[in-house]
Amino acid sequence: MPDRDYRPVVVPNGSKLPWKVVDNVKVFHLVAEEVEHEFAPGLKAFCWGYNGRVHGPTIEAVEGDRVRIYVTNRLPAATTVHWHGLLLPSGMDGVGGLSQKSIAPGETFRYEFTLRQASTNMYHSHHDEMTQIGLGMTGMFIIHPRRPVGPRVDRDFVILLHEWRIDVGTERPNPNEMTDFNVLTMNAKAFPGTEPLVVRQGERVRIRLGNLSPQNHHPIHLHGFHFHITETDGGRVPESAQHPEGTVLVPVGSTRVIEFVADVPGDWAMHCHMTHHMMNQMGHEFPNMIGVKPGGLDARVRTLLPGYMTMGQTGMAEMGEMGMPVPPNSIPMLGAQGKHDYITAGGMFTVLKVRARLESYADPGWYDNPPGTLAVAATSDELRRDGIDVNAPALVNPGAPA
Amino acid sequence: MRLSLLVGAALLAGGCASIQKERGHAEVAALVEERLGRKTRWNQGTPEDAEVARHLDALLKEDLTSDHSVEVALLNNPALQATYEDLGVSQADMVQAGLLSNPTLDGSIGFPISGRGVSEHEVSLVQDFVDLFTLPLRKRVAREQFMADTLRVAHEALATAAKVRKAFSEVQALQQLMELRRMALQAAVAAADLSARLRTAGNITELELASEQAAAEGARLELAESELALVEAREHLNRLMGLWGPRTQWTLSEKLPPLPDQEVSLAHLESLAIRQRLDIDAARKQAMLLWNTLELARSARFFGRVEVGVHEHRDADGPRLFGPTLSLELPIFDQRQALIARLEAQHRQGERRLMELSINTRSEVRAARARLLALRMVADRYRRVVLPLREKVVEQSQLQYNAMQIGLFQLLSAKREQVEAYQGYIEAVRDYWMARADLEQLVGGRLREGSEAPTPSPSQPSQHVPPGPPGPPAQPAQPGTPTGHGQDVTHGTESPHEHPHD
Ligand SMILES: [Cu+2]
Repeated sequence: MPDRDYRPVVVPNGSKLPWKVVDNVKVFHLVAEEVEHEFAPGLKAFCWGYNGRVHGPTIEAVEGDRVRIYVTNRLPAATTVHWHGLLLPSGMDGVGGLSQKSIAPGETFRYEFTLRQASTNMYHSHHDEMTQIGLGMTGMFIIHPRRPVGPRVDRDFVILLHEWRIDVGTERPNPNEMTDFNVLTMNAKAFPGTEPLVVRQGERVRIRLGNLSPQNHHPIHLHGFHFHITETDGGRVPESAQHPEGTVLVPVGSTRVIEFVADVPGDWAMHCHMTHHMMNQMGHEFPNMIGVKPGGLDARVRTLLPGYMTMGQTGMAEMGEMGMPVPPNSIPMLGAQGKHDYITAGGMFTVLKVRARLESYADPGWYDNPPGTLAVAATSDELRRDGIDVNAPALVNPGAPA
Repeated sequence: MRLSLLVGAALLAGGCASIQKERGHAEVAALVEERLGRKTRWNQGTPEDAEVARHLDALLKEDLTSDHSVEVALLNNPALQATYEDLGVSQADMVQAGLLSNPTLDGSIGFPISGRGVSEHEVSLVQDFVDLFTLPLRKRVAREQFMADTLRVAHEALATAAKVRKAFSEVQALQQLMELRRMALQAAVAAADLSARLRTAGNITELELASEQAAAEGARLELAESELALVEAREHLNRLMGLWGPRTQWTLSEKLPPLPDQEVSLAHLESLAIRQRLDIDAARKQAMLLWNTLELARSARFFGRVEVGVHEHRDADGPRLFGPTLSLELPIFDQRQALIARLEAQHRQGERRLMELSINTRSEVRAARARLLALRMVADRYRRVVLPLREKVVEQSQLQYNAMQIGLFQLLSAKREQVEAYQGYIEAVRDYWMARADLEQLVGGRLREGSEAPTPSPSQPSQHVPPGPPGPPAQPAQPGTPTGHGQDVTHGTESPHEHPHD
């Protein structure tokens, strides 16, 4: 039972699959269907998911449970569900054609098995995977241990990583894309659509990361803390094998679980460290404009194309703030306004908010930095005091003793 | 005196036997004005010419319109002025035909050789009498010839007007096309400029820079080509308007007009052409004239030469005699069979020429209208579909550019494609107006936009037009069957050149 046998997980931006007990069996019902999903304010698309959600709701159960999962197919195509990482009878493994007959549109299949393991797992379509995973048919499957293992955690987050190709101005992910993904998501949300992870100072935090991206591994980097990787796909990592990390690589088709104590208050970034994965729908056909001096070009082009402005000469950081008209239903520019400035990040980016005092786990807003703990512009007095001449050539010492 | 009466009557019948300079051109001017709404003038070195010159200068000082350019050409086209001189020639022929042959004065004097007696003399004044009978018919023939010539000249004026309208549309279109080419050049130069800046920043290769620069030079050459085309088109219009010197400095700012809302119905166009085309009328008059000539020959078939006159005779010793003379040719051998047969053949020939012209006209009208409709479809498609789409492409490209999905190069190439679409549109509109000038020439007058154009005779709700091409030209133009005179036509054997239900 939740809260008795285990502390339920938190799924930022997500949902959990309801269940009922019938004759000592936990009964779930998944409905595969088309879903209109908002990736971030300003970008909606038609995806495929489960129970009106992308991704499907998180299934949460306990080691030893007998589960019966009905899967109804309301898609226009056949489908199956593969219980990724679960130990179960071959006929319940959900590989279309291999393990079972695939579920035709309109049909409902029953999966039933006993959960023999405690681990972080996933589920996804295993029929025409390229299309169906590409359109979002994935979810998390959390199995808590029957008996608690390791230190008690206060906050147990579940995040499923995914990537999509949604061309600017279109309303459906393109599952045919092989390499060039432009919407990178945590629980199917791209920053600034991601909900922050809210934690009370001193709490022990677990973050369960799954990756069902079609193509890319994601090195997820957490600011402010060192963590241990406590679980991989197979379950708990022995304490002796855990080591401190700042970045955890989550390979495609894998889960990683990290734990740490959130002992320092603040607003801390957590994001994929592939820089392209921290952007939204920026294009790659755009010429490299860095260092270009537009001179009189703008005025001349404006006689042909009113409203034209040369962009990108210093990068893309300012693009998001300019508010130039872009195609409807698109989020090509980066970021969101933060407390201090514009946050030039998008995609696989979220914020861990650690606070000393919390009324609830709702978003507490931006962190108020105590005096002296915020980087600010240096005063000339400080510069003089420390002998810094901003106009002098920048100095370096030789890399090795002379 | 009997004789003086006779001669006086003959002279009277010959009447109007003097040349009137303006005669003929007035008819031409009326025909042209009725069809084009523009006056034409035959410059003959009169004081009014100066006034015309002032009028021309006034027309050319303002921005030229299509109507004004037609007016200038009608007043000033040298070829047309040369054609007007044909009217003088024709009129001279007509006057000639109205003159009686001159009377013959015969005189003889006989001197006695023997030395005896007195000299004898004889004087006679003889007038070919048959002239009096044939003169009216002859005059009619000559008048018809003159009218046919008048029609032909007016037809020339209309043809010139059509050429002017086409040349005018060409100049209009080229002016607009040149503006567009300038825009295309501007886009290409902007792309080359950006390339240079990208190259300076180290972001593109020499290859990419050179390609963009080459493209800009291509656009520059295209602009130069269209500048030349505009000069040539202006000169064509100058030739048609007969202009030289400072008068060639005219300007034209009006853009090609949009297409009229509706097209005139085909049935109406065909009958309009048959009714008002001057060359058909001329051919009709020609056929009639040949018929009258034939009648003339036939009616005079049994007339030999008839000469009446007076003579005075005095013998040496006899009394002085005075009295009428009559000399009569007896048409026993030559009854003008050969002449009549020739004229009959010529008459049939005229009828067939008329039919050929009518059938061809109908066909040409149908073809020209089909062309007009096709061009209207093209221009309309451009205006209603292609141009808005191209505009949308640019607009969306700009949004995609703002979203940094595409660069300026792609944005400019969208602009270039839009400009090209406008070029296609302008060319289609120009071709439409040129085809319309052709059609107007084919129907022999201006087309009013929209519904049925007002025409000299009221149009009937159901025009009876021979369906399709008339069969082999067998039924009309039977020898001696005076068809094509606009009278006594049985509708069963209707000819293509007849006005239905006239
Ligand atoms: Cu990544």
